[in-house]
Amino acid sequence: MTGHVKRAPSAALLVALVALAALPWFGESYTLRLGTIACMYAILAVSWNVIGGMAGYPSFATAAFFGLGAYTGGVLLARGVPLVLAIATAGAVSFAAAMLLGWVLLRLRGHYFAIASLAVAEVLRELTNSATELTGGGMGLNIPLELGGGASVAYEASFFFLAMWALLLVCVLAVLAVERSRLGFGLACIRQNESAADMIGVHATLYKSLAFALSGVFVAMAGTLYAGWVHYIEPPDVYDILLAVKPIVMVLLGGLGSIIGAVIGAFVFLGIEEFVWRNWLQVHSGVLGFLIVVLLLFMPHGMVSVGKRLRRTPSVPAAGAAAQLRADSVRGAGHG
Amino acid sequence: MNARSFCRAFFCAAVAAAPFAFPPNAAAQETIRFGAPLPLTGALAPEALKQQQGYDLWAEQVNKAGGITVGGKKMKVEIVYTDYQSNTPRAVQAAEQLITQGKVDFLFSPFGSGAAKAASTVSEKYRMPTIASTASSAQVYDQGYKYLFGTFTPNDTLTTPLTQIVAQTAPNVKRVAIIARNDLFPLAIAQEMEKSAKNRGLEVAMFEKYAINTMDHSSALAQVKAANADWIFVTGYINDLVLIRKQMSDQRIGAPVVTMIAGPAYQEFIDAAGAGAENISSAAWWHPAVRYQGKDLFGTADNFVKLFRAKYNSTPDYAQASSAVSGALFQMAIEKAGSLDREKVRDALAGMNVVTFWGPVHFGPNGQIDSLEPPVFQIQGRKAVVVHPPEIKQGELQLGVGMQK
Amino acid sequence: MFLQILVNGVVLGCLYACIAAGFSLVWGVLNVINLMHGSFIVLGSYLAWGAYHSMGVSPWVTIAIAAPLFYLMGYLVQRGVLNRVMAAPVLVTLTLTFGMDLILNNAMILAFKADYRKLILDPPLGTVAWGSVVVPVDRLVATVFALVLTGALYVLLRRTRMGRAIIAVRLDRDAARLMGVDVPVTYAAAFGLGAAMAGCAGVLLALIFPISPLSSIPYLGKAFVVCVLGGLGSVPGAVLGGLVLGLVESFGAMAIGPEHAVTLSFALLIGFLVFRPQGLLGKRGFE
Repeated sequence: MTGHVKRAPSAALLVALVALAALPWFGESYTLRLGTIACMYAILAVSWNVIGGMAGYPSFATAAFFGLGAYTGGVLLARGVPLVLAIATAGAVSFAAAMLLGWVLLRLRGHYFAIASLAVAEVLRELTNSATELTGGGMGLNIPLELGGGASVAYEASFFFLAMWALLLVCVLAVLAVERSRLGFGLACIRQNESAADMIGVHATLYKSLAFALSGVFVAMAGTLYAGWVHYIEPPDVYDILLAVKPIVMVLLGGLGSIIGAVIGAFVFLGIEEFVWRNWLQVHSGVLGFLIVVLLLFMPHGMVSVGKRLRRTPSVPAAGAAAQLRADSVRGAGHG
Repeated sequence: MNARSFCRAFFCAAVAAAPFAFPPNAAAQETIRFGAPLPLTGALAPEALKQQQGYDLWAEQVNKAGGITVGGKKMKVEIVYTDYQSNTPRAVQAAEQLITQGKVDFLFSPFGSGAAKAASTVSEKYRMPTIASTASSAQVYDQGYKYLFGTFTPNDTLTTPLTQIVAQTAPNVKRVAIIARNDLFPLAIAQEMEKSAKNRGLEVAMFEKYAINTMDHSSALAQVKAANADWIFVTGYINDLVLIRKQMSDQRIGAPVVTMIAGPAYQEFIDAAGAGAENISSAAWWHPAVRYQGKDLFGTADNFVKLFRAKYNSTPDYAQASSAVSGALFQMAIEKAGSLDREKVRDALAGMNVVTFWGPVHFGPNGQIDSLEPPVFQIQGRKAVVVHPPEIKQGELQLGVGMQK
Repeated sequence: MFLQILVNGVVLGCLYACIAAGFSLVWGVLNVINLMHGSFIVLGSYLAWGAYHSMGVSPWVTIAIAAPLFYLMGYLVQRGVLNRVMAAPVLVTLTLTFGMDLILNNAMILAFKADYRKLILDPPLGTVAWGSVVVPVDRLVATVFALVLTGALYVLLRRTRMGRAIIAVRLDRDAARLMGVDVPVTYAAAFGLGAAMAGCAGVLLALIFPISPLSSIPYLGKAFVVCVLGGLGSVPGAVLGGLVLGLVESFGAMAIGPEHAVTLSFALLIGFLVFRPQGLLGKRGFE
């Protein structure tokens, strides 16, 4: 595969993403709300892809990062710290926490890592719940964020959409850069064979921790933005296990290991979620479960693979994902 | 993946999203649409069910009578539900979706104080008259909003009469142990209880919180036993309270007064706690035993209970009654305003001063009801018996829950 | 008070062991984390509730009905769905069972409504006391049953042909296949046993806890912790892990307040994963 082919989709993605910024001039308030959620989902999915897709570690820590970011930023915002500063602090705190956690947890593999990353969110949730003085505990936290200038409905909706959109753009650019860097190469090595990667001089622990931290930093920032946007957060909402599972489904939907896939997967997932939510009042969570089951059983490589099947030559990201799934399954079998 | 397949995938996304681009078209209006975002799934699902029953019963009764009279014309009502999955931000989203895309005329708040407060911002944005049927915290109403009204009085109106009647009936009760679920409403009411108790000169011997989803309370209860309290005050939702009551008998823990909020107001509590429910006291905003001659379509509590039993074959509690009365209040405000104009209906609500089966309804300047005196009651012989206020009381407060003979 | 809390902890621990045994078996043998386990338990509770309150069948009898019923259900679920992804990575199996749990849980909400039910034995079993220590009889009986069930599972695994096949597959799938073990059938049998344990646990727990589809998450959480504490796939490990968790929660609630008991158990989980991933009794599992 040539660099030319690889650059084309990234360029197309960037163009499409930039075009999305025009939404405030066309959409009404609710469309903007959906757009904001779409960008947030895409940040979650692209971020998860770094640890889950590139490094091959089944992380369920997205909810932990999101909640940590929402509460770090939310507490600061509630005390009158400017939004940008709150976002930066949440990102920094989450980066540091993820590096530290990564150092400890990434020694685990497979189920053990998955469970440990899941438990992190539980611990953080309970800690947030019991730190009543700081976080309001079970009473939730109110964030009266003033945008200034008597912000109107439309202004506020556009502001948060554009902020989330900009964060997504930064996130995508950062991850694209990582993918092309030494770190990206190192992560690919780790995914395929960690001990071999160690032998050829890839500092596996450092690289993995960096990947874990990268998968957390933008999620945490999105969490802060979210807190400012909704004005009220409570622990069960921002540490929701669904926040950890949904990004995985989005990435699987778009094709494991592909950044574009993650973004598209996130948008499609939101579309499906919204559709199901509106049309099946009593059974929407069951329908969502059914879609997950169907996706995993019949489209293991996401929509990308459906596109691929229609054409002759398999292109690289999908083939890579397939090869990776196979590699993983071989590894899994070895452990069994 | 190249640009072509990217376009294809993007197209797929567009197709998937297409159905949302076309909201239901508003033809000549025949019905009045009320939006009701409810937590139909997730942790609060049991509460959502109650609200839904209340709204449905009201809508059914209105439509049976031909509808609401708007400027001489009868219009039917329709309740538009959405599920916000017990997730507060999702509730805000649901409220906005109902207003902008569901084209509802009026809105009921989502469940509880937290979600009602969060969603009130949206109502205010769109100048949408909104009635919160299950929000009691004063913070919900103290935001200076003009379009939000609530049918629950503040939390201290439950704990103050409780401490008053206990102090009258049992002057020997000195030590209070409080166990609270670490969650918005249960924690707020427990803190209110702590204040009320201290104001009455009672000693708060223990104040412990327990986490949501706690399955075993035996350790906390062992401490209650050691604290030797005369009054055990427990807050939580019905599952917590059933579990705690059971584990109290398991450890043979009793006290002269045991109060639980908010479970015992529900018939399910009496069913699930069985004999253990005896002599448990509680307070709520409404009770089937209240006797008001209302001007609303239900008129009296008796009539409301009768209609409710006919439809659902169970006895309503304050949650269902509050939902039904919220509908009835909208109805009266619309009929008085003579139009569906949001400003006029809002003004009619703000100026409301009327007696309903729920009680006298008058909203204070902040929108919260200020005309209601919540009853204190006690489970006696598997029935809730009102013991306060004196005008409607059916019996005296009995002492002794699970005490050794 | 110390003695009372000790007894509470032990009794609670046995219930936890019962919750976790089937989960541990499935995880250990199939290398699949079954996120439906909590919902299976709740389904068992509904079975007990329905049988008792509409047909007057005692929960002790219901256990005997639940075991084969849930075994069959588990067997079919594994053959029909899970077997297609047995070789797939963790991510796929975990997300798949999550999706299936969404379906199952939604179905239960539709069928039973989300409000809480309670199985109330008439007459109630009451309590027994030794000095100042009080123990409720229903918990005591449930504890004995839990131990018997877990013991039965242990014997089944050690003494029967099917059990030995399950253990052989757990130790080395390929060697077991070479020795003539039908691996897919063994997988399905192990999953069926896990489901049967969940169903029976649900029947027992119906005596103690209120029943609602919403209870599945806390059950699942306990199963996770017990499993990691005790060691995967080991039946004695589940009992030991359950006891440790029960005691830690009980004494933890006394020492640092009940609101932190859950935090404590998850912190314990992470600590164990990091420092002793094989659990208290487990052999070294997957790395």
